[in-house]
Formats: sequence, structure tokens, C-alpha cells
Amino acid sequence: MEAYIFNLLNLIAIYGILAVSLNFIIGYAGIYSLAHAVFFGLGAYTSAWVGLNVTPSTFVTIPAAMLVAAIVSLVLALPALRVRGEYFVAASLGLQVIAVTVFSEWKSFTGGIGGVLAIPPVNLFGAEIYQPREFAIVSVIALLIVIAITLALVRSSFGRNLRAIRDSESAAASFGKNVPLIKTVAVVISAALAAVAGALYASFISFINVESFMLDTSVLLMAMVIIGGTGTFLGPLVGAALLLILPSAISYLSFLPQTEIGALQQIIYGLGMTLLMIFRPGGIVGRRSGT
Amino acid sequence: MLAKSKIILTASILAATTASAEDYTVGALFPLSGANAIYGEIFMAGADLAVEHINADGMVSGTVSIAYEDSQALPQPAMVGMTKLVNVTGVPYTLSAFTGVSKAISTLGQRNQVVVVNGGGVGPDLAELGEYFWNVIPLANLEVRALVPYAVSELALPNVALVYVDDPLGQAMEAELEAVLPEVGGELVGSYSVPTTAQQFSGIAAQIRSSDADLVYIASYGNQQVQIVKQLRDNGVDAQFASYSGYTVNDALELPESEGMLVTSQSVDFGSDNPMTQRFVEGFREKYDQEPTAYNVNYYNATMLFGILAEALEADGTEVTGETLLAKRREMESFDLVGGTVSFQDNGTLLFPIEVKRIEGGATTTISSVSFE
Amino acid sequence: MLALQLAVTGLQTGALYALTAVGFSLIFGSTRIFHFAHGATFAIAAYFFYFVFQAGFGTVPAILGASAGAIAFGLLIYWLVYVPVQRHEGSFFTVFVASFGVGIAVQNLLGMVFGRGFVTVNTSLSRSSEILPGLYVAPLAWVAIACAIVFLGALHLFLRHTHTGMALRALSDNPELVRIFGLSPQRISAIVFVIGSVLVVPAAIITSATTGLNPAIGHHVMLISLAASIVGGIGSVYGTLLAGLILGLAESMALLFVASQWTEAVTFAILFAFILIRPSGLLGRATAH
Repeated sequence: MEAYIFNLLNLIAIYGILAVSLNFIIGYAGIYSLAHAVFFGLGAYTSAWVGLNVTPSTFVTIPAAMLVAAIVSLVLALPALRVRGEYFVAASLGLQVIAVTVFSEWKSFTGGIGGVLAIPPVNLFGAEIYQPREFAIVSVIALLIVIAITLALVRSSFGRNLRAIRDSESAAASFGKNVPLIKTVAVVISAALAAVAGALYASFISFINVESFMLDTSVLLMAMVIIGGTGTFLGPLVGAALLLILPSAISYLSFLPQTEIGALQQIIYGLGMTLLMIFRPGGIVGRRSGT
Repeated sequence: MLAKSKIILTASILAATTASAEDYTVGALFPLSGANAIYGEIFMAGADLAVEHINADGMVSGTVSIAYEDSQALPQPAMVGMTKLVNVTGVPYTLSAFTGVSKAISTLGQRNQVVVVNGGGVGPDLAELGEYFWNVIPLANLEVRALVPYAVSELALPNVALVYVDDPLGQAMEAELEAVLPEVGGELVGSYSVPTTAQQFSGIAAQIRSSDADLVYIASYGNQQVQIVKQLRDNGVDAQFASYSGYTVNDALELPESEGMLVTSQSVDFGSDNPMTQRFVEGFREKYDQEPTAYNVNYYNATMLFGILAEALEADGTEVTGETLLAKRREMESFDLVGGTVSFQDNGTLLFPIEVKRIEGGATTTISSVSFE
Repeated sequence: MLALQLAVTGLQTGALYALTAVGFSLIFGSTRIFHFAHGATFAIAAYFFYFVFQAGFGTVPAILGASAGAIAFGLLIYWLVYVPVQRHEGSFFTVFVASFGVGIAVQNLLGMVFGRGFVTVNTSLSRSSEILPGLYVAPLAWVAIACAIVFLGALHLFLRHTHTGMALRALSDNPELVRIFGLSPQRISAIVFVIGSVLVVPAAIITSATTGLNPAIGHHVMLISLAASIVGGIGSVYGTLLAGLILGLAESMALLFVASQWTEAVTFAILFAFILIRPSGLLGRATAH
């Protein structure tokens, strides 16, 4: 039971990092990305490759993962500068679909559907950490650092500029803000933080394949942010915890046939998203109505 | 203080009992929920029956039981379950199913010296997951080696086109076809990979038609393989079709377009007079009131294998761990299991004969059986 | 000959894409509702057809059942989800998330009711025959093209020559104008949902006989509809029609140059390029905002 709880805690911390970093662009910059799983995947693949081919040291794998994700995120920043709203959602969807194809086909780097095996565990100063209990310390600290970074950014002048752009791009531009630069930096930071989660995930699970980085994951992450509450500090964490605990909670309802549990869980989170948008568009934690 | 002495007391009781009778827990990672849960039930049926037989015969000093964890047939939940089995339950031996799940948990097995035994996945790279990963099911490359010579020589269908799903299973099938065909005088005239999510195959049908293939081999699974067969036929491909054991599911067999297709599968002679086989077949009918399938056999065998190895280790006075189980398997070489006396290859995979069958009226008829050495 | 065959196949696929995409584009263009559950409408229509047909009631009742299912779902989601969401502010993203949620729920409900496996409607019409040496065309391909011409032609006449059609076109630009005509914008929106939902029915039925169905089919349909609407120009029915045909052709003809796993990436690379270079689409008027 104990290991199970620590396992869950690790997953919540990893998905928490993803939700927090996604919330950073959705909630504060108004960039509604459905391609967050791409950067999660890039982080995972890059750190796995570095870990297997260069050095297992986490002080190398995580920065490498962040760097690659940051560079590739410029591709997502391009449409973010050109278009808003529905068009950007469509562009990010396109990027997600293309990335899944590349992840499946670039077999020398990703192993395709077969995936990457035997990824080295987190390695701090030569000490290998893969027991769930010890790993939980690492993942929770990583989550706290990511939260601290985003909080600091949101409260800085950078964060104020972001919100100004979100509320009115033209007004921000007329105040002399460098809108393209600010938006690009926001996307790059968000992608780099998602890559941290990818690196932790790869070393914790020790096996990754493209199935973890498909559109479904992007949608799940978006659901975490929305259900928790966009543009709030606690919302993404609440959302991540809720959607990860939901499956085990449902499986306690013993009168349900086991085969329907997966479907039921999907129905609950699908309808949950819809009902929240009708009655509480700000999410569970959000106080304001909508963004 | 009181609590502490209590712990010592229980510990000493445990120690006392283990000296005379050892209870063993074996792990199992099966899909118990989600779309593939139906498979979990099939696998459990075989494993549970073996546990009954092991305990009824008193093969080990104590009793054997199975701790089931839900894999949902997906890598991530499987890792959560495997971590629990390794770290909390502390099993020396785990049953596994599905290629993706098996590959994912194999690292943990190797790292912690826990034997992982697959009886469901047939991806040929499952043979290469290290010494702690065993297969009690013939992998799909054997099926290609059985079917292709038959089709090329007996049926005179030398020009083969392959439609394969772009994953480890499909890629291995392609490699196998490319290796086997020249040996028997055939030729791979076209090779078309499809992504796991593809649903439209009319374009591929056009390509196959222009390749002039006599035999179209389809290497996919689930919904997709059925869609491929239907759409190829709809779009004017009239060559002979062939596939592997993944096609022998009801959805596929019942499709009108499947009529006349060749398929292969693991051969188990349920009518054999081998006592293990007879006991299994009778026990299975009695317990579940239905006829056993190859999957039931494989997980019965996987569990029985643990019983045989643990029994032998106890006789030596050796502790049962993943490490000693592996050593014992290598030492014993051959085993009496359902289907006959079998032996492991060096890569930890069992060899079984393969049957070539034809689909007729929604069922299969065996037309040839091929043994391997 | 292979190229000709792939072009014909692509045309059939493109005709179906055009029908579904025009439905989405019409809804989005006139009501500004990002109706992501349009794919769910498709799946519902297809499964209703399958259910009634398999039950032995025959083709016509099955078509009626599919249409009724699609229209009912379109109206229900409009009244029960979009109207309440739009009541308080309703940014595009709120609508999108609500719609997405419904899509997920429908997909899984269909899976629970009809099974998660592959189902198909058996008909000899999906069987191709050789009309030229090496060129195979199924009767359903002609049906698909005929449906596209009839339905989109009827839509054209409706939009150009009826009172309601003109009000509908005015809806996105100026809802006040609609009120001046003496019509309620909500009523017009409901009509748009009925029309948009009906447009997916022929495509859903033909798909149930050609490629077959699974509960996740709506997903693919939605992605293609979205891509076609944007490539064609949001709000431009004719642009969307053209884009649907082009995407169908591109998906099929791409097989001449790349393996099939890249065809979806080709579609979305086209979409991505359009968003970057020409967000207004092929025939769109206004630029993206």
C-alpha cells in the first residue's frame, strides 16, 4: 500500500509540473495549447537518450531535455505570434499530430511504438534513485521548484506584461511592450518546464513510448488545468491530483463491471469539463468566472 | 516497549513456520479493467487452475497464491503495479501479458532479479528482454516461418505483399518475411506499413493491386486488422490473404471477407494422452464449464512452471528467489507441461509446433502442422 | 494507373470530408460556436444507422434514424450546453472545452452501448468493380459524390434564395440585423445546428459501409473538419468544400510519395502552413484576429 501511495504521489508531482507549466501559458498568456504533450515527450526522449548515451547524471539529462524542448517550442511560438483563439488551438493540434508521427517514425531516437527501454534512474552525484519513496522526494522538490519559478514569473513585471497581452494585445503593444518577444519567452519557458516532467517521468518509469505523448495526454493535461481552475495557483495541482486519483476511486465501486471502468472514468471527466464550463467556468479553485 | 516485543514475537513465529512450510506469492500483471479486461479473465482462468493443482498435489511445502495487479494493458499502470509487486509484495516470479506491458516491466524485473513470464504477447522482440524475461508462448516470427513455406511451395503463391502495423510486432514480421521468402523461392513484391491508428486502406489496396501479389500477409491486430481485410477485398484485391494468431479472434473470424484466409496459431493437442494435458483439459471443463484455449494453456503452464521449479529448489534446500529460479530452469532444461515435454531456447523462449489453418464459415480448420527444433 | 486510382479514391474521401467539414464550418462561421462535438454528431449518426439497419428495419428507416439522432444531438447540445455557456460571457475557449467534454462522453457512451470493437454495415455497394483496366470504383463512391453535389447544392440554394438563409448569413456579422428582420438569433442558430448536423449524415452512413465504425471515429472526422474549415477559410462554405476535396486528394495521392503513416502529417502540415502563411484560408474574407 505504501509503495502504491508513493507511486501515485510521484505521478501527481510529475503531472502537476505539466499542469502548472501549461497553466502558465493558458492562464496568464491566453495561449491555449493542445500540444503540451509534445514537450513532455521531447523532454522524456531527450533525457532518455542522454542518459543512455552520454551520462546518467540528472544534472545533465534535465538541462539537455529543457534545452531541446525550448528550441522546438519556437515552432509553437510562431503561430502564437500570428493568430489567436481558435486558430491557435488548430495550429497546436496540427503540431501535436505531426509530432506523434515524428515520435512514431524517428525510430533511432524514440524507438517508435516499441519505445525506449532500460532508461537509467535519477542519478544525483552518482546515487541512483528509483525506489518510489526516495523518488517522491525528488519529484516533489522538482514540483516545488517549478511552482516557485512560475509564481515568481507571474508576480514579476514579466507576468504583468503577459496578463496585459492576454487581456488586450493591441493595448499592450500601444504601451510599447514587445509583444512577440514576451509571448515567445512565455512559450519557451512553459515548454522547458514541461520537459523537466518528461525527464523525471522517463527515469521513474524507465520505459517510454509514443503512447504516453499523444493527443490524449494533451487533452488530459488541458482538462487538469481547466477543471482545477485556469490562472490560479492551486488549480492545476488540484486538477492533476483529482484526475489521477479518479481511476482508483472509481474502481472501488464494485457493482460496476471491471471492463467499463475506463469508459466510465472518461465519461466522468468529459461531462465534468462540460458541467464546469456551464456552471463554474473558472474551475474548482477559480473564483472569477472564466478568463 | 510492548509493541516492540509484539513485533519480535510475530517475527519469530513467522521464522518458525517458514522453516517447515513456505508459502509463496507469485505476481501477475493482467488487464483487469478497461477495453482489454476480457483478456485478463482468460489469463486468470489458466493461472488459477494451475494454482489449484499445485496446492492439491502439495508440490511445495506451503501453498502458492497469486497477487493480481491491474495493468490495463498499458505501460504506465503496469509499472505502478510492478513496482508494488517487487517492492511491497516481494514476489520472485511474475506473470505478464501484452507486448508493451512486458517490455515496460522487463527493466524492473531485470534490475530486481524477478522473473517475468509472458504467455500472451507475441512481439518477436520479447525474446530479447534479458535473462529474467521468459516466454511460454511461441513468438510471431515462428508463425511466419510456418506459413510462408506452406503458401509458397504447397499453394504456389510466390509473390507476397505485406501490410503491417508500424510497431515492433509488424516490423519484426517484415524482417522475418524478408529473411524467409528468398529461402523458399518466394519474393516480397510489396511492403506497406500503416500507423497503429490508421482506418483508411483503400489507397493501400490500389498499391497492392498494382504489385500483382498472389498472397497478401496482414500483420496487425484488434480493430485494424479487420478493417484492413474488409477494405482490401472491397477495393478489388482478390489475392489469397494470410495472417498470424492475432487474427484468430471472433471479430475477425466472423467477418464475411475473412472466408478462405490462412492463419497460424500455436498447436495444442487437447486430445493428447499426456497426463498433464488430460488433467488440464478435464479440470478446465469442470471448473469453467467451457473449452480451454491456447491462452489458458500458456498461463497454466507459466504458473505450473513456477511450481515445478520451486518444488525442485525446495528439494535441494535452496531458497526460492528470482535468481535461483533462473538457475534451476537452466539446469533442468526440459519440462512436462500441457502440450507435451518442452524445452527453452537460450533466449528464454519455449518452442511449440505451429498449425496452419484456413478460415471457413467463421471457424478455422487445420490444414498443416509444423514442428521446430 | 495507380495515380488515377488514388485520385478517384481521394475524390471519394474528399467528398465525405467536404460534407462533414461544411457542416462544421457553417456552424462555426455563423454562430462562432467552436463545435468540437461535431465529430460526435458523426459517430451518433453512423451508429444509429448501423443499429437500425442491423435490427432489420431496412435502409430508409435507418437513414431516418441516423438523421433523427444527428438532429436531436445537434439541438440538445445547442440548448443544453452552448446556450447556458454563452449566457455568461462564453469565451471561445469555454465553449470549446464544454464541447470537447461532450465529445469524450459520447465516444465512451457509444463504446459502452455498441461495444468498442469494429462494426460495419454489410452491403454489396461497397464492393468495387473494374470500370477501366486497373481502375476499381465502388458504387458507394458515386453515391458519395452524388450526395456531396445534392446536399451542397441544396445548401447553396437555401443560403442564397431563402429568407432564413440570408438571415443565417447575416448572423455572424450582425445579429442585430437578424432581429430587424424579425427573427430571433437563437432560433436561427438552432436552424444552423440542424443543417450542420444533417450534413454529416450521408458521410456517416457511407463510412459505416466502407471503412467501418468504431467509437473513436468522431475524433478523426473532427480533426479533418477543423483542418478543412481553416484551410478553406472559416465561414466560407465554398472554401471549405474545396479544402475538403483537396485534403481528401492530398491524403490519397501522398501515397505516391510517402508511406501511409505520413499521410495524416501531410494533412496537418498543410493546415499548419495555412495558419502561418494565410490564416484567412483559401477563400476566406477576413483575416484571423
